[in-house]
Amino acid sequence: MRKQTSLNFRANAVRAIADSSLRGVVKKATGTFSSKRNIAISKIADYESLRKKASAVREDVLENLGTYLDAFSSNATRAGATVHYAVDAAAARRTILGILSSHNAKTVVKGKSMVSEEIQLNEYLGKEGISVVETALGEFIIQMEDEAPSHIIMPAIHKSRQQVGRLFADKFGVEYSEDTQVFTKIARQVLREKFLNADAGISGANFAIADTGSIVLFTNEGNGRMVTTVSPLHIAVLSIEKLLPSLKNLPSFIRLLPSSATGQQITSYVSIITGTREDGEMTGAKELHIILLDNGRSEILAGECRDILKCIKCGACINVCPVYRTVGGHSYGWIYPGPMGIILTTLLTGLANAHPLVSASTFCGACDEVCPVKIPLVELIHKLRVRKVSEGFSPVKEKLGMRVFEATARSPFLFSSGEGLAKIFWPVLGSLGGEDIAGRLPEPVKMPFRRRME
Amino acid sequence: MNDVVKIDKISLFLVNTARAAAGADRLKDIEKLAETILKLVPKGASVFCPQSTKLEKAAIGKLSRMVPDYSSANITVEEVSAAIAETGSIVCDSKGGKSLQASLLPSHHIAIVPREKIFATLEDFFDKCSGSPPTNITLITGPSRTTDIELELAIGVHGPERLDIIVV
Repeated sequence: MRKQTSLNFRANAVRAIADSSLRGVVKKATGTFSSKRNIAISKIADYESLRKKASAVREDVLENLGTYLDAFSSNATRAGATVHYAVDAAAARRTILGILSSHNAKTVVKGKSMVSEEIQLNEYLGKEGISVVETALGEFIIQMEDEAPSHIIMPAIHKSRQQVGRLFADKFGVEYSEDTQVFTKIARQVLREKFLNADAGISGANFAIADTGSIVLFTNEGNGRMVTTVSPLHIAVLSIEKLLPSLKNLPSFIRLLPSSATGQQITSYVSIITGTREDGEMTGAKELHIILLDNGRSEILAGECRDILKCIKCGACINVCPVYRTVGGHSYGWIYPGPMGIILTTLLTGLANAHPLVSASTFCGACDEVCPVKIPLVELIHKLRVRKVSEGFSPVKEKLGMRVFEATARSPFLFSSGEGLAKIFWPVLGSLGGEDIAGRLPEPVKMPFRRRME
Repeated sequence: MNDVVKIDKISLFLVNTARAAAGADRLKDIEKLAETILKLVPKGASVFCPQSTKLEKAAIGKLSRMVPDYSSANITVEEVSAAIAETGSIVCDSKGGKSLQASLLPSHHIAIVPREKIFATLEDFFDKCSGSPPTNITLITGPSRTTDIELELAIGVHGPERLDIIVV
């Protein structure tokens, strides 16, 4: 299993910062995404009230999640789907393996799904002798490299075209190219055969609709459509908070999700799948299994950070985050990066496995500004920082430093003495610091601000 | 007044389809349909068409190489069930035995949209389709695309690389 390395955030980040190719592609991608997003949002009439409306819909879903889940399950079942509730990752994996085994399915084509990454599905099925092929271009690339996605929307954002060119030449024996259109053609050829011959398709879902029992997928490449319609068996895996009350809510989210994610007005495809193929129909899987994954979300729902479950996984907060832009997605050490990732990773895997992440924010608030469903990301990260300190996860040096600062800041005498001492001993402090904070702080000014006010 | 609104809706739909990199054309009547389609089909290309509606039957009048199975066709010609002006989307669904793979597997999709089936907004469309929807409803906006490598747009990944829309 790929191990979570969130505890090594600092070391991961230092390594990422030293990789200039990585920094280049990440900077370009996040910058382009953010400006495309800004243009798309500026074209939405009355964006602020749309955002408020969408936020209220998501709040209502969380408030009444049990009711909506029950309604979704019974409506999806009535439409011919089989709904499974999985309490954790292991339960979800077992359920999926059970379904595939009972159909003797050996080859699976897969659409992009962060929830499937969360439960490490591919590795598990691989060990059980089932071959899973990722079919979204970015996922297809990182699967060949055995890497984790570094962004929730663009999983291969960290790859340069040169790296992809070398990978394709190596894997498919084709001539080296740097042309994305060439890569696309090759992927089309290689994967078309896989689609047509697979025993089953596995997808995620962007939303689930309570009053019709439908699942909704936003896609651009068409692989999502293949995965959900070509194989006779379709398994959809999604987390429990992805519900919307009704199809009538969908227009708001069609307007908000693609524009916030990629700056598109709408994705090439929006598929609404309700149950299984009926008599006389020519489209749809003959058997549809929907796995609703909890994996700690009920606990989040009951806690002080529940607003993170409003998230619609657009990635806008990731693209504007100055920390993500500098260190890239793999530094966060799990699958969800950026501001939403700090919160989800900490809550889903526990502070003990992820506490350094809560420091990976400058609190600049850019994430709050772009969130299409108004999640107070900074406030939530702050709550987690408070928990980190109160639960004893801060490093000893930091704790000590904070004590000293507290005592000094409370006494005007100590504070001004400190200023004087800092000026004298600064060169020594700087050299002691090494990679640590002191080495990177600006030199103390000759005349402190406070003194200038006197 | 009603007429003015209707005209605006169609024009808006055509502008938005073009913005999504789909070809767009508008015909006054059914007479020109076969000729328009013929111009879009390269010589020798094989065409699949369900031929289940009046428009579909008229559309293929001048084509020579028809195939009965979309999975071996170069092009699909079909009438779609709705369109949305606001986003320039066409809507395909599984009602009445239609296959959504016909608009997915061939590399070129030609969609015929009857003008009365164009909805102005997403709300107008979705207000009509709650209750018990067909197994699959897919909104299609432009050709298949990806920007997964260095954000550069590449067209025609797994779905059609070309989409033409004709409003009749």
